Amino acid sequence: MENLDQSQEISKSVKLETWLRALQVAQLLVINPHGLGGVILRARSGPVRDRWVTYLNAVAQLGGMRLPLRKMPLGISDENLIGGIDLDQTLRTGKAVLRQGLLAQCDQQLLIMPMAERVEVGAAAKVVSALDNGFITIERDGQSRRIDSHFGVVALDEGIEDDEQPNEKIRQRTAFLLNLDIIGWRDLPETDDDFLPDAQSLQYALEHFSEVTASEDSLNALVGVAEQLGVISIRALNLAMSTAKCLAAFDREDEVTSMHLQRAIALVLSPRATRMPQSVPPEEEEIPPESDELPENEQDPLDQESPLPPPETPPKEQDEEQENDEQESESNAETPQTLEDEILEAAQAAIPPDILARLADLADLRTPKGMGGKTGAIKVGRMRGRPIGTMPGMPEGGKTLSIIDTLRAAVPWQAVRRAEMMAAGKFITPGKIFIRKEDFRIKRYQERTQTLTMFIVDASGSSAMHRLAEAKGAVELLLAECYIRRDQVAVMSFRGSTAELILAPTRSLVKAKRALIGLPGGGGTPLASAIDESFEIASASMRKGLTPALVFLTDGRANIAKDGSPGRPKAMEDAQQSARAASYYSFKSLWIDTSPQARDEGKAMAALLGSMYLPLPNAGANEVSQAIIQGLKRA
Amino acid sequence: MARNYPFSAIVGQEDMKLAILIAALDSSVGGVLVMGDRGTGKSTAVRALAALLPEMSSVQDCVYACDPNAPSGSCPVCDELRSRLKVGGKLKAIKKAVPVVDLPLGATEDRVIGALDIEKALSSGEKAYEPGLLAKAHRGFLYIDEVNLLEDHLVDLLIDVAASGANVVEREGLSIRHPARFVLVGSGNPEEGELRPQLLDRFGLAVEVKTPQEPKSRVEIIKRRDEFERNQTKFMEIWEKEDDIIRHQIQAGKKKLPTVKVDDAMLEKVTQLCSHLGTDGLRGELTLLRAARAYAALCGKNHVTLEHLKKIAVPALQHRLRRNPLDDSSSAVRVRRALEELFPETSK
Repeated sequence: MENLDQSQEISKSVKLETWLRALQVAQLLVINPHGLGGVILRARSGPVRDRWVTYLNAVAQLGGMRLPLRKMPLGISDENLIGGIDLDQTLRTGKAVLRQGLLAQCDQQLLIMPMAERVEVGAAAKVVSALDNGFITIERDGQSRRIDSHFGVVALDEGIEDDEQPNEKIRQRTAFLLNLDIIGWRDLPETDDDFLPDAQSLQYALEHFSEVTASEDSLNALVGVAEQLGVISIRALNLAMSTAKCLAAFDREDEVTSMHLQRAIALVLSPRATRMPQSVPPEEEEIPPESDELPENEQDPLDQESPLPPPETPPKEQDEEQENDEQESESNAETPQTLEDEILEAAQAAIPPDILARLADLADLRTPKGMGGKTGAIKVGRMRGRPIGTMPGMPEGGKTLSIIDTLRAAVPWQAVRRAEMMAAGKFITPGKIFIRKEDFRIKRYQERTQTLTMFIVDASGSSAMHRLAEAKGAVELLLAECYIRRDQVAVMSFRGSTAELILAPTRSLVKAKRALIGLPGGGGTPLASAIDESFEIASASMRKGLTPALVFLTDGRANIAKDGSPGRPKAMEDAQQSARAASYYSFKSLWIDTSPQARDEGKAMAALLGSMYLPLPNAGANEVSQAIIQGLKRA
Repeated sequence: MARNYPFSAIVGQEDMKLAILIAALDSSVGGVLVMGDRGTGKSTAVRALAALLPEMSSVQDCVYACDPNAPSGSCPVCDELRSRLKVGGKLKAIKKAVPVVDLPLGATEDRVIGALDIEKALSSGEKAYEPGLLAKAHRGFLYIDEVNLLEDHLVDLLIDVAASGANVVEREGLSIRHPARFVLVGSGNPEEGELRPQLLDRFGLAVEVKTPQEPKSRVEIIKRRDEFERNQTKFMEIWEKEDDIIRHQIQAGKKKLPTVKVDDAMLEKVTQLCSHLGTDGLRGELTLLRAARAYAALCGKNHVTLEHLKKIAVPALQHRLRRNPLDDSSSAVRVRRALEELFPETSK
């Protein structure tokens, strides 16, 4: 519940507005599921989310969408997702019959992905490729087919931590990102029935959204605003444009008006904003430098357009209940008007008047580490093993039968077996296939236990003096080594009063290097916290099927206790206690003493942890990394 | 069915477009790897490539669409056809579109290399081989989107076939060897995992793409996309002419290619650059040479000049450098630096 304290500060009107926005998203998705890609709905399973899904179903029904909406279970097999051979039909007819996968069945529909933050990267990539192409390519089980399917995705994101995000690929392709976690059950209106669109408008929008045009000015404005908000992705721009068209079609307009554009920007671009068009206080120097880059374009008559209040978007402050009767000019008066105007004019964009307020909310809602939608931790999904072919055997004890391969094994023998049966005087139904025990083939998976090498780097003042640079270099060399073996790597650094995971388990060298470059040094040595947290992460990774190995690079001189208080004796005691507790895991670990002279403290800690101890007086990066490679082999 | 977005209508991304054109012009350069930001038109460009390729002549009754001039012994079907010919007879040739084959994620091994035709097996008990994607891609392009997410066992297959130019199938009682020479085209996002070095090496050129930042081109991109979506036929008509120009350029370049000369001084520069950068093996030199030649042909020139070399050095070499984790500069920067050191701009 990282949002708990902020959520109390969020006014009721903002919550209501968020809810109404969510409802509008549902309408838009029914109008153009494929063109808009879908939504990522961050909400814990609960009444609020259920209400939204119910509403979505109601709108889908009004819009004539096939129901029920299909769900994509976690860990779905490729066979079920993409399609494969329909065995029953194939055997019955003697002809290869294709069975459509889930993605093909979702044509003109919305695919619901529960627990989207845990969807495996391979599965996500397949969904995404279907989203991009509008068709599914099946090259499986002797079948080669292409099936059209246009669907949108409703990704139900139940992530709690900031690093639990749905796959970035999906985030990029869904127009909407909603956060319903800020809304409580009690914040909802009595009923959503009043907000149901009328079927005719919905139908009209469905048929006509593709004909809506957008003027050059609107396109320019859109790009300008995106620039101001720091939205780089071209996809987001396209999605915003499609959203504006759907909104216009819903209002039976032929062209995107500034109001629609404003709304679309609020829905699509604002949640992706990586910076505010202008930072909070009314200081003159806060003008972004870009503001004078664009004056060559014509002045857009923004002021003539702004009197149109965007529907359902009450400004943050003094608005109490309903969304319709508000002119945003008053709320503008509170923010530094002149500055805002300048930026608006410079960008020539119809930035919705409430966007700053919205952005402020957004900034509040974001956890401190929020990096503008770039936090999506990509989990490598090989943990359940990859299929590596088949072998003869019976499908028992949880082994799965590979039907295709079983058939392939049986086919060459059919003539012989038939003759055998005939000779035995048995009656044979035509078209039957004889499958015997020896034909059975079972699928083999290789549960490759990938190693997660986790570096716990002491970046405290004492270490930083001597060793941080070498440690960084060594880690980078090791990263290259891990990369060749396709292992995963994580880096934790500890300094000051806390230990921080600066690189979640990853296989990406690019990311790892980036994380290391930004590693600062200095401060105390909170060794106890570092041990606790690193083992926690290591044990979590073991549950995911990885084999963790830990490498400590420290001088072992703890001086910050577990509770954050300074003082060496208490700190050392805590660290020893943590080490004792951690040793129960019996993970492979290596303790590299980076102090200029080997000390007993380090040795003692290593012994407690059950780690291999390597004192490294005055070693360079190369020596450190060599020592680690050797050490890990032995350990 | 929706049509592919035309190649010429792609805004910017000149490096990527050039690399793709060079690969289209000379297949011996060995394919293109496009890595970079999401949503930068990587797959759009590759899919648009199909429309640009001039037709190829191929043996009429061969499932692998072999070159009629290919030597005997390379393809079982052609050999069979040849044996039925009268003395001095020639194989019948027809014009065919150059294949651009998608290798989708989730493809199974049997579809990639080909397998027993299950339908024929079931209905008539016949043991027939059904060619897979590698066969389909013969003499054309094999495109793998998200190449860094491809299953390891498929990568192994690809590496082997891409190196030998022949696909050997030994499964389910089948024993077949057929030609499979294709140009590998891959795309992906480097943040989602790296490519195996062995596979990386199979790509002739590697380019990096970035999201365009400049407002004008951004506006142009969404404008064209908007036009394309609203009125595809009209949009295609407009860009068809531009595509035609590129098609002719490729065709002319293909004709020109055998006559493009590389003098010894230029060869020396190629080796100099590669040894300075410490690329492994000879593949770097070969690719650089071929790519420079193809680029010269594309420009309609008779000789490879230093300019051609410089232009093509980054995509030809950047993915072949040894990783140096302690040097933070990207490999593209290192190649450029080497170029500057070895061949400084002569001020005129």
